[in-house]
Amino acid sequence: MKSYKFFTTVFLMAAVIFLAPSCDSALDNPQEDTVVESGIDYTNISLRKELIEGAYYTLYNLQWETYPLLSVRGDDVNAKGDQEPLLETEAFRYSRSFWMYNSTWLNLYSDIINWHAAIEEIEKFNANSNDPGVGQQYIAEINVMQGYELLLLARLWGGILIPTSSQAEDLYNSEVTSFEETMAYISNLMDEAMPSLLDVAPNQHPVVKGGITRSTALAIKAMANLEMKNWQGVADATSQIIQSGQFSLFADYYELFKTPGKLANENILELQYSDFGQGSGDAVRYLHAFFGPNNWTPEVSGASGGWGFWEPSMKYIKFMIDRGETVRLETSVNFTNEGIDSLQAQPGYSTLPTFISNTTRDNDVWGTTDGSANPRAIFSSGKHYLPSNQLIPGRTDYGSNKNFICIRYAEVLLMHAEALINGASSSVMSADAAVNAVRSRAGLGNLSGVTLDNVLDEKFAEFGMEWGIRFYDLVRHGKTSELTGYSDEDRFIPYPLQQIDLLPQLEGN
Amino acid sequence: MRILFLSVFMLTAILGFSQSVGVSGTLTDAETGEALIGATVVEKGTTNGTITDIDGNYQLSVSNPDAALIFSFVGYASQEQAVNNRTTINVALSIDIEALEEVVVVGYGTQRQKDLTSAITTVKADEITKTPTSTAMQSLQGKVPGVQIVSSGAPGSGPTVRVRGVGTLEGDSKPLYVLDGMFVDNIDFLNPADIESISVLKDASAAAIYGVKAANGVVLIETKKGSYNQEATVTYDGYWGLQVAQNVLEMANTQQFVDYALATGANADASFVNNAFQRYGRSRSNTNYPAVDTDWYDEVLKSYAPIQSHTLTASGGSDNSRYSVSAGYFNQEGLVEEVKNSYERYNFRTKIDLNVKEWLNLEGNVNITQSEQHVAPGGVWFNTYFAVPLIPVYDETNTNATPYKLANAQNLGYRGRQNPYFNMLYNDDQNKAARILGNFFADIELIPNTLSFKTSYNYTYNALNIRNINFEYNDGVSFNQSSLYKSNETSFDQIWDNILTYNQTFGSHSISAMAGYSYRSESFNKIFLQGDSLYVNPSFDNEELWYYTNPGEEITRTASGDQGSTFYGTSYFGRLSYNYQDKYLVYGTLRRDGTNKFQKKWGTFPTVGAGWVVSEESFFDLNFVDFLKLRGSWGKLGNAGVAAAVGQPTYQANTLAVDDNLETGVVAIKQYSYLDRWETTVETNVGVTTTLFKGRLSLDADYYIRDTEDAVLTVILPLVRASVKRNAASFRNKGFEFAANWNNSIRNVINYNVGINFATLNNEVTSLAGQQYLDGGSAEFRQRSIIGSPLEAFYGYEVEGVFQTTEEIATSGLLDEFVTDSNIQPGDFKYKDQNGDGVIDDLDRVVLGSYLPKFTYGFNLGMNYKKFEFSANFQGQAGHKILNRKRGEIIFTTDANLDAELVDNLWDGAGSSNKYPSAAGLRKGYNQAMSDYFVEDGSYFRIQNIRVSYNFGGGTLFGKNMPDAKFTITAERPVTVFNYNGFNPEVASGIDRQTYPIPAVYTAGLNLKF
Repeated sequence: MKSYKFFTTVFLMAAVIFLAPSCDSALDNPQEDTVVESGIDYTNISLRKELIEGAYYTLYNLQWETYPLLSVRGDDVNAKGDQEPLLETEAFRYSRSFWMYNSTWLNLYSDIINWHAAIEEIEKFNANSNDPGVGQQYIAEINVMQGYELLLLARLWGGILIPTSSQAEDLYNSEVTSFEETMAYISNLMDEAMPSLLDVAPNQHPVVKGGITRSTALAIKAMANLEMKNWQGVADATSQIIQSGQFSLFADYYELFKTPGKLANENILELQYSDFGQGSGDAVRYLHAFFGPNNWTPEVSGASGGWGFWEPSMKYIKFMIDRGETVRLETSVNFTNEGIDSLQAQPGYSTLPTFISNTTRDNDVWGTTDGSANPRAIFSSGKHYLPSNQLIPGRTDYGSNKNFICIRYAEVLLMHAEALINGASSSVMSADAAVNAVRSRAGLGNLSGVTLDNVLDEKFAEFGMEWGIRFYDLVRHGKTSELTGYSDEDRFIPYPLQQIDLLPQLEGN
Repeated sequence: MRILFLSVFMLTAILGFSQSVGVSGTLTDAETGEALIGATVVEKGTTNGTITDIDGNYQLSVSNPDAALIFSFVGYASQEQAVNNRTTINVALSIDIEALEEVVVVGYGTQRQKDLTSAITTVKADEITKTPTSTAMQSLQGKVPGVQIVSSGAPGSGPTVRVRGVGTLEGDSKPLYVLDGMFVDNIDFLNPADIESISVLKDASAAAIYGVKAANGVVLIETKKGSYNQEATVTYDGYWGLQVAQNVLEMANTQQFVDYALATGANADASFVNNAFQRYGRSRSNTNYPAVDTDWYDEVLKSYAPIQSHTLTASGGSDNSRYSVSAGYFNQEGLVEEVKNSYERYNFRTKIDLNVKEWLNLEGNVNITQSEQHVAPGGVWFNTYFAVPLIPVYDETNTNATPYKLANAQNLGYRGRQNPYFNMLYNDDQNKAARILGNFFADIELIPNTLSFKTSYNYTYNALNIRNINFEYNDGVSFNQSSLYKSNETSFDQIWDNILTYNQTFGSHSISAMAGYSYRSESFNKIFLQGDSLYVNPSFDNEELWYYTNPGEEITRTASGDQGSTFYGTSYFGRLSYNYQDKYLVYGTLRRDGTNKFQKKWGTFPTVGAGWVVSEESFFDLNFVDFLKLRGSWGKLGNAGVAAAVGQPTYQANTLAVDDNLETGVVAIKQYSYLDRWETTVETNVGVTTTLFKGRLSLDADYYIRDTEDAVLTVILPLVRASVKRNAASFRNKGFEFAANWNNSIRNVINYNVGINFATLNNEVTSLAGQQYLDGGSAEFRQRSIIGSPLEAFYGYEVEGVFQTTEEIATSGLLDEFVTDSNIQPGDFKYKDQNGDGVIDDLDRVVLGSYLPKFTYGFNLGMNYKKFEFSANFQGQAGHKILNRKRGEIIFTTDANLDAELVDNLWDGAGSSNKYPSAAGLRKGYNQAMSDYFVEDGSYFRIQNIRVSYNFGGGTLFGKNMPDAKFTITAERPVTVFNYNGFNPEVASGIDRQTYPIPAVYTAGLNLKF
């Protein structure tokens, strides 16, 4: 008996003594299911393609509140709906504690910081590659994305912080860059990127079709110079785009904003979304419901409407009717019966063009059939509308499978005209020619000897509901009397409270 | 089940009976010889008994001459004597300080209560089963000072448990549960009736033997075991009852809501009301209001829901084996109408001890649990609160809606559907869980009663199958595809412990030592997938077809995938305790822990403690004091409950569309968590334990200071929507805990006991890695940790009142420019201008309070009278705040309903309200800033549990022996009193956005012993 006991004990104790050290080595096992930097093979240069696609993912992943905040303050559009921050911002009553301010700030800055991370990673692959050219091109594309979002940030807040690495903590000690300096920074950044970029139309980009090319950088450079009123800088950049011959105006203005306009020759920067041709399953989409009608009777039943938050202004509609606009008004505005009634109640608008109807040419009817009122928007934005008969059968989300256009060739043409009228020169195209190209697509006759007002009106008509272009035009040219409730200190919105708490150097607005 | 009972009854009935014998005698105090009045004499194994009279005499007739009698009296040790044909039995009882001889379970061993130098509270089986609940921790609410329990009302979900404040900010700060030696993350799966005892190791000294797992306290659970040489007993324990929602929040009705909507002056709101008139007509009683007036809580909440529990246990033992085997069934229905929400659980357990050799003891313990939970769909409570009263549940005019014509608020122009019935009728969320838990050990006595070696293997296998199905439907405005989400999660955890224990006494010195090694692994795997548009449209009628089998459709790649992790831990530990003449006690443990979770792999956790039993000293001569011990301890703990830190940049894959093709892009994430130190807790505890007046009064008091250092904190980075974990904070919890119990009898017939306990808690940030403060919470509802203030305190403006007139604004001291810019009107908040600069801005924000209660208390009362037992428990918490996040939702949407208290008391003209702003003001950014308008007092007092039992059975019926039986009626949480404007004041995080109502439970229970 004793010997059993002895044997058992010795066996068990020995087991402990021998097994314990091997158990301890388990502590060196790496964490599972996480791809860490130290595990990346930087000689596998094909990963650069994944990184640039990741950068486009970041660009395309536009949160819904960013666009309205950027675009709400013009006289082309009214904020509607249950979002007080948007309603108040439109009325130029700002509050640094509005959730949308902080959220938009984070959306844009997170992109810029993540893009720095992508650049730093691509550089590591480039160091191992005997063909760093492609990597340089990718980095340049990312720089253009950064320039674009810095522009958006500065348009909202004026002076901003410019991140120069992926380390957000570095910003603790950085100084605010003024609005003008930021625009100059963006312009330079575009100049530096350009030599590495492909000189083709975006829809000819071999890796990311619809991606960023040299013209995109030029367009953003033009926008930055426009904000600086460096008119010659604008004219030079736009001239190069025009001269490249890579772009043309899409003939059908109505379809430009719908499925046929995806990756059209007019589009210089476009966010891509898709249902991948399937009625269910994977989909990548922008939240177009924001723009959609509260109530509608779609041609394809079961198709969802939206929130009714984005209403073209009565001022815009009357302006368009006064100009004799047809397709641009039809495309920009969807009318409910209440909308038509209140339009007709305006002096001088009792008779309306026949295309003004609560039924679109794709037979979607705005408003309910039971005649109950649309408490939110009585008009909605047609540029953000996808006809229900263009939805892939099975899909019901409003605007599903629709792209989101950021910069169009038409904007380049009209920036070109704006610059020339303000004294810049170009041998490529005259101001009249640029304006008339845009007018002609809209079915309007030619103008000659265009003035600044002609150009600004043309931009108003062409870009209603798009990206706040109208607001930034009015502010730039001091024509703010058009904006009800605006005073000079309202150009920029206040820094979000959370950011001031983290970055005390944010002062001023 | 019924057949089983019948057969058990029949079995009992077959047993015969024999003749009765009369016994009498006197009971005295063994020390003084005084008669004991009102002492109890009971025939063993029956309910046949009596009580001694004023001279200490008793008379009783017993069923046979071989019966045994049990003599007991409050404060005295019980005695058992066999009758052995005697007719007179006189007994002298001694004062019972033996309770202190009781052995307490400590980590990797046991200790005498008397020898403890640390703070351990043990709760026994009877106390645990008083509460009708699926999870045993709930029954500790209000009973253990220093342990905060925050209930959850959803079927099958466990409470939040905090030991001595917040030990960490990571995870949910939950303690380590050690179930018969196995580490588990909760004991919600366990049948409360299977538990013998729950011991809460509160201070660092007690918990330190669990090292890196112990920072949030340790809860040791022992399941029931049999006894050697005990005849088999079969016990049935069960109850059936009803749950009733309590303190249901009153929302604005149509009249109140319409008045508010119109008062906002917003055109859209007026238009919604007009549409309601048009669609549903006018109210007949008051034509100024729409006809529909839906009370959503009334529509969504059942008036009651059943709950039931049944447990059968058999236990017993022979010379060299003992066993306990049980089976349990628990079923709780939820309170939501229509949709399945319920929790059903089966438990099977067997525990066997074998004394196979004189020197070898084996134990095997297996616990199997199977449960099925149907969760009320996520949006139900949210929608029930926010849905406007203007729409009905069903709307026949919503003609496009299929399969049910549910009313849709979008038809009135609102942004969302609102009607919670969409969540209820078209969803089913099911969680099926299985758990196998086993412990096996061998205990070898190397030197009898001195040195032993124990090796044990503990194992759990968990499987969780989640199936969420959404049916295809049309809400009248748009069509919604069906979809199915399924996930399978499994985890395999194992612990191998090896322990050497040594006990020796040399004269007045006794030593106990333990050394051990432990290896642990935790491996987790999850696979999940989602598909839309199922081939066969799912409905409640075809559950057998809830599979994604259609080959024509694609699984949604972006919502499908897998996850996994494996963590390892190894530990070396030891304990030494020394005792001199039972007077002086010294105690120490040391544990060295390793893990692969963090950048730092190893940590060492020591503790020391000392005790002085003053009452054992020769100079001690206070007669009324039976026992008095002073104790003190110090210990250091670690916290491995934090999520693993990756410690370097990572690559994440995301999908995007390029030219209508699905592509995968990689995003490099350079914001990462880095934990190069271990979160540690250092605690000093001093306490006193005493029993007085012949054991009638017992007191326990503890004071502790608990410092958490290098605490892992979420740091909000500037500019980016990312937050990372850093060892960034140190904070201190300190508090005083007190518990007292008094036992006695009144006129010798009523035995009673009264207990009170309370605990204070003071939580304070002590350092923040060089910063003055760290922000937490959300940007709109800021919480801030500031040195010297509580952790994550609510932070914002102080509301002084509401501006009544323009004159008041003009003379308020606010600068005109600020008033104009902020558009301040009468009916807007008057915030306190803390720095007096005439402007309300970020510099005027102050700490508005903490979600941690400063004071928790409980008291209880128990009484026995003849065959009746009565007990009552009360508990409460005070000194903490709740963020009424529901009222804050208006920041994100103005489409929602509000609570009646708010709507009724909105400012509407000078003198109308100094508390709430005007209807229009509610929507103004100025009034929406974080302030104490959103932060409310969370204090409450609750009648926790009232229970009346009647003992019957035993004896004979129709000449047959009957089992012992006890019938009990329980009211759990019948009354809760609080001021907070919400459903219930129990909100673990302090942020009340959507909570399941916590019901009152009324049950009838039966306990049978064969």
